[in-house]
Amino acid sequence: MENFTNETIDTTQLPKFEEVIFTPLHSKYFTVVVINLVIIIAILMLVPTVFSFFRPELFSGRLWLIIGAILPVVFIWITTFSILGYKRKGFAFREHDVLYKSGVIATNTIVIPYNRVQHVALHEGLISRYLGLAKVEIFTAGGSSSDLEIPGIDKEQAEKIKQLLMGKIQKQL
Amino acid sequence: MSTDFSLPQRQSVVGIWVLFFYSLQRYGRAFWPIILIYAFRFNEVNKIYLVLSLVAVFTAIGIISYLKYLNFTFALDSENKEFIINEGIINKTKTAIQLNKIQQVNINQSFIQRLIGVYELNVDTAGSNKKEGAIKAISHKLALELKSRLLDNDLKSSYINSELISEDDSTAESVDVLQPFLKISFLSLLKVGITSNYGRSIALLLLFFSTIYENFLKFGDDDDVYKEKFGDYIDQNLVLQSILLFIFWLIFIVLIVNIFRTIYKYYNYVIVRQNGSLLLSFGLISTKSTILKPEKVQIVVSSRNFFQKKMEILELKIKQATSGEKEQSSSAIEIPGCSEAEGNEILNLLYQKIPTKGLMLKPNWRKLIFSIFLTIGLPLFAFIAIGSYIDSSIFDYAFLAPIYVICIGLIQYFKFVNNRLFINKDFIIKQSGAWDVKKEIIKPSKIQAVSTSQLFWHKKLNIGSVILHTAGGDIAFQLGDYIVLKQYINKWLYEIETSDSNWM
Repeated sequence: MENFTNETIDTTQLPKFEEVIFTPLHSKYFTVVVINLVIIIAILMLVPTVFSFFRPELFSGRLWLIIGAILPVVFIWITTFSILGYKRKGFAFREHDVLYKSGVIATNTIVIPYNRVQHVALHEGLISRYLGLAKVEIFTAGGSSSDLEIPGIDKEQAEKIKQLLMGKIQKQL
Repeated sequence: MSTDFSLPQRQSVVGIWVLFFYSLQRYGRAFWPIILIYAFRFNEVNKIYLVLSLVAVFTAIGIISYLKYLNFTFALDSENKEFIINEGIINKTKTAIQLNKIQQVNINQSFIQRLIGVYELNVDTAGSNKKEGAIKAISHKLALELKSRLLDNDLKSSYINSELISEDDSTAESVDVLQPFLKISFLSLLKVGITSNYGRSIALLLLFFSTIYENFLKFGDDDDVYKEKFGDYIDQNLVLQSILLFIFWLIFIVLIVNIFRTIYKYYNYVIVRQNGSLLLSFGLISTKSTILKPEKVQIVVSSRNFFQKKMEILELKIKQATSGEKEQSSSAIEIPGCSEAEGNEILNLLYQKIPTKGLMLKPNWRKLIFSIFLTIGLPLFAFIAIGSYIDSSIFDYAFLAPIYVICIGLIQYFKFVNNRLFINKDFIIKQSGAWDVKKEIIKPSKIQAVSTSQLFWHKKLNIGSVILHTAGGDIAFQLGDYIVLKQYINKWLYEIETSDSNWM
């Protein structure tokens, strides 16, 4: 009882989530982003080509002009967004919670306290596995909108993060 | 009180009918596309085969129901203190529920059960929110006896609670020893029926109008003589009058439908306090009953519109923690009409104190501009674009545009004015809505995760959005004072992380 104190908290002195320094995603993950980008662009280019091969009568000169004008804009658009998106993503593990930041136009930050984590999963995509990367998925009881996915983490580190989180959850129970 | 429950008991013999109807319902639901096809091709189908197959199906279901009845037994094992249910014709299932784990025993009666004169007994345990033991057909006397035995045993084995001794029942027939905590009167239900569900009413109105209008047009097309001869006679005044009368009648009909719907759904709404949780039961034809455990409550939504405010009633919607996302919508418990005092009493019971508002946050005026842009600017732009480039005939309806702008503008304005976030030491209250003003009340300890979002051009303006995720749904507040929001987020995170308060 003697050790019990109950002083007023100065809310301005609390640790600030907005001042946390985020760890960027693994540099190898950039390769994954680029490969995904190439695949998408290839599909976008291939579809009209294949179509025009089988049904050439559908493609007038005007349509080709529109496709030729729109596609490069779309390519530039998604390329900048993927690259910027990669650069803007970051995560941080604090003592009591995990943070993830993303978004190009809007900066989104999600914070999940460890004592609200339901379970943790590791996910490896095809390309990611080839590069030795993994995705950490953190689930809460708040539904899919409050789940967290951190892509592009080194497999070993992801394993460690999972262990850390499991330890934190265990401690809560 | 002489039935020996230690021996396996069957359900009521008439209960075969209940099982029969339930099976029929289930198969009917599963095979409705096939039934529909047959119904449409009724004339082509050989009648004898149809009758024969129908007879075959009915006998098959009858036999299945009878076998189900034969194989369904329940018993009380006083040695192991268990309630045992055996069921299944080929796949046998034996459910054993420990008596001291039984949280609640409900006696319900659906429409079919009411017709046949039997009751349903559901056993609810602490383990999951699924009903683990259900007896579909049991006489009322036996049900009450079994219930008291089930709960009686619980009493002896675990703890003595004076509240539990009384042999209360959720159905209206038995005498309630427990005083109802809240009873919604018929008058309140009438008030609710008159004042709520305007959205649905307006949709109904529109649907009705459009069909009538279409028929009217067809009528005009078919009968050109009518147009020529009588067209001149139709006085401007008369048209206006009949339209007004028509609208009046429609509103009247919709209100009547609304009242009937409300009474059908919520007739005899009784809330009983039991063992720290609330027991709700309601319904005109089929009585529904649910349990509400205060610790499972995530969000309480209290809403009222202008009329309801004048009539001094409010609606409460209580969202509990759900295990699956599919259940989310169905697990919200509605208390359709209660006075402010009763509402406060319920809140007091759920939260141990009445939520007060505290610090108020307003959204930035840009939110209003943005929503006006989305709901007025874009549609108007599309209207003008279609009119000038594709089909200029839609400009004939241009007179509707100002009406639309005024209506939507007013809705957006009131939405903006009512959109507030109140932050208090123990509660977060989000107020929203144009006509029905909703107040979503949560405790900071129920927060599962926090998302923040800020557009890059809003950084200098210091405005941003926050979403508080809970197990009962999300609460979002857009374009508020970002510095204040962040400060509170830090505080909430601190509170969540330093305490091990139970969110469920």
